[in-house]
Amino acid sequence: MDSGYYAACTAMMTQSQALELVANNLANSSTSGFRAQHSVFQSLLASSSGAPMSPLNEAANQYGILQGTRVDVTQGPLEQTGNPLDLAIEGPGFFVVQTPTGRLLTRNGNFHVAHGQLVASDGNPVMGENGVVQIVGVPVSIAPDGTVSVNGAVAGKLKLAEIKPGTPLESAGATYYSAPQSAEIADTHSTIRQGTLESSNVNTVSATVELITIQRQYDLMRRAMSIFDAQFNKTATEDLPRVS
Amino acid sequence: MFRALYTAASGMVAQQLNLDNVANNLANSSTTGFHSRRLQFADLIYQNLIMPGAAATAQTTVASGLQVGLGTRAGASEVMQTQGDFSSTGNPLDVAIQGQGFFQVKLTNGEIAYTRAGTFQLDSQGNLVTADGNPIQPAIAIPSNTTAITIGQDGTVSVTQPGQTAAQQVGSIQLALFPNPGGLNSMGNNLFLATTASGDPILGTPGGAEGLGTLQQGVLEQSNVNVVAEFIQMILAQRSYESNSRVVKAADEMLKDLNGLTQ
Repeated sequence: MDSGYYAACTAMMTQSQALELVANNLANSSTSGFRAQHSVFQSLLASSSGAPMSPLNEAANQYGILQGTRVDVTQGPLEQTGNPLDLAIEGPGFFVVQTPTGRLLTRNGNFHVAHGQLVASDGNPVMGENGVVQIVGVPVSIAPDGTVSVNGAVAGKLKLAEIKPGTPLESAGATYYSAPQSAEIADTHSTIRQGTLESSNVNTVSATVELITIQRQYDLMRRAMSIFDAQFNKTATEDLPRVS
Repeated sequence: MFRALYTAASGMVAQQLNLDNVANNLANSSTTGFHSRRLQFADLIYQNLIMPGAAATAQTTVASGLQVGLGTRAGASEVMQTQGDFSSTGNPLDVAIQGQGFFQVKLTNGEIAYTRAGTFQLDSQGNLVTADGNPIQPAIAIPSNTTAITIGQDGTVSVTQPGQTAAQQVGSIQLALFPNPGGLNSMGNNLFLATTASGDPILGTPGGAEGLGTLQQGVLEQSNVNVVAEFIQMILAQRSYESNSRVVKAADEMLKDLNGLTQ
């Protein structure tokens, strides 16, 4: 009984989770190399048994739930910084960083040199084609194909990994992403821009529109719940007993 | 829902810090040898409500998990290494570095600090000192009866004295270079201190193969603050703050709606 009541309740829970995703996207609208997360909704047919349902029953028991999140891989805008160790990727590739928890991918090319090694902004070494890139001396120049030269001599080549289309990326925090290594392929489509950083790819316009939609939908569901509560239950509990 | 409130708050705190940084950069847009800083943000941890790759049924796995991020934080403020504009002053003791090097300055506590501001002066003993009176390292003393001071591109300081035709060399300015100048510690008064992040300085004479750069006498390096870029950053910080506060408002109204249910 009252499965519509629970459908509205489920929708409210779903929309509040969707709000959390939008909040995270908007909070990270200034994070270099950040990839927005989009919510993926799914309808769920609530039935306790596998028995076939009537079309009406099916319609009343289709609940909308948040099934998962999808990392948006569109290119973010490029921002000029002028620092020789700020690198942006134009194309689908990712830098590969060796962290204590394993290999991770990032688009945040805010690199530094520490102990003669090229490191990411949190100090973890950035991988080249043949191991960690050693940088001793200045000036450092990085070619569009990722070749690193220090004071005119080639010091290595940055490793760029491309993820097979359709492979889901997992957010690991600190602008790191991870994907199964089997899904990595050598990148041939990307170019590196030195002295540039890729800004967050959060689209603030669509995030704000999403925010409004969530709020309105939440409001609608609340009204639906009130109607269930006020109209139907009132009839059942107050009016019906009076029928004599 | 409460996550959304805290997530949006983290975004507002980060943007407030961003504006603080922009304010300091703009305030120093006329400071000789000032290097602007740029704030770097990073996303916080993620809560995995559904693990990606978890088993959906005995045969299949979840294609994409349900991950909810918990906001942002300011990660680092990095010193921008772009060269500032040069302005010609004609003062023989104004020196600019065309390159990545730093002048070395000896502080009163004996520590060595590094600066790009080449506004030198002479103290009562004729030592070459910074505007704060700290001597440059290695120390250079100018004889009292000097008529002209020449600082060469390679840092050689020579003086001309009355009655002499040939210039006499009195010392040489050395520069320091850091493997990671972005990791220097700003201590105010245009001075930087070396840290483990910046690495140990590489010392050398200007114009060498190390990439220290050459010296230009009678020229000063202006602040490298790009006023246009700072204004853009300011607008972005303000708008981003605004959109985060909209999330707070939306979450608040949704919670209000929820409370309205139980009348």
